[in-house]
Amino acid sequence: MRTFTPDELALCDGRDGRPSYVACDGTVYDVGESFLWRRGRHMAEHEAGRDLTEELAGAPHGADLLELCPVVGVLVAGA
Amino acid sequence: MAKVAREMVEKAGVNVDQLLELLVYNAAAELTTFYYYTILRANLIGLEGEGVKEIAEVARIEDRNHFEALVPRIYELGGKLPDDMKEFHDMSACKPARLPADPTDVTAILTVLVEAERCAVRGYTHVCNLTAGKDHRTYDLSLAILNEEIEHESWFSEFLGEGPSGHFMRRGDTSPFVSKFLR
Repeated sequence: MRTFTPDELALCDGRDGRPSYVACDGTVYDVGESFLWRRGRHMAEHEAGRDLTEELAGAPHGADLLELCPVVGVLVAGA
Repeated sequence: MAKVAREMVEKAGVNVDQLLELLVYNAAAELTTFYYYTILRANLIGLEGEGVKEIAEVARIEDRNHFEALVPRIYELGGKLPDDMKEFHDMSACKPARLPADPTDVTAILTVLVEAERCAVRGYTHVCNLTAGKDHRTYDLSLAILNEEIEHESWFSEFLGEGPSGHFMRRGDTSPFVSKFLR
């Protein structure tokens, strides 16, 4: 499975045709096909290209909705 | 725009621009849901479907009422609706409640309905959490809408057999919680 450092994940921000990926609990998901993640943004608060583990704790839903999106890799610590 | 009202909300620590974005997304969800529910309702026919039709119609009208109630608050806070209806549709806080591939499958229609309501319940819970104790008017409005969305979710959920049921369909006028914002 592909690995992403935080810097590599940050490049997948859904803007200008780039892929739209987010991480949660070490897993990287492709949210690009989600209606609710258009142009790499979700609900005015959340941005693609980031580890959303902490933000998800304050969201009105759990990881179960994120898990509906395809897994594309794992997040590893940066160099 | 209600200048001082916006200032009070800002001073309470709310990011008003972000809140406005959320309110517009939710207004888009309500109006698009009203549209898609019109199609779902039209397809609720036959022995199974007719039993669900009336409750789907109440939810449809109440979702339209939610749109009507949200719009004044958006403008009070200095926001606006997009000029382009297509853009408005695509910024909806919930995915489109489209007619299932098999429009005679009442369970599939109910699943679309309950998922739409669950999305709304999550969304208004979030707005309530953001505004509680800070933006009293938006909180009051969002709580009123949330009350109705929770009832909608319960109705459809119970039709899907996710019971037991704690209540029956309402009597009286639609939007018992939101109507005070529509007068």
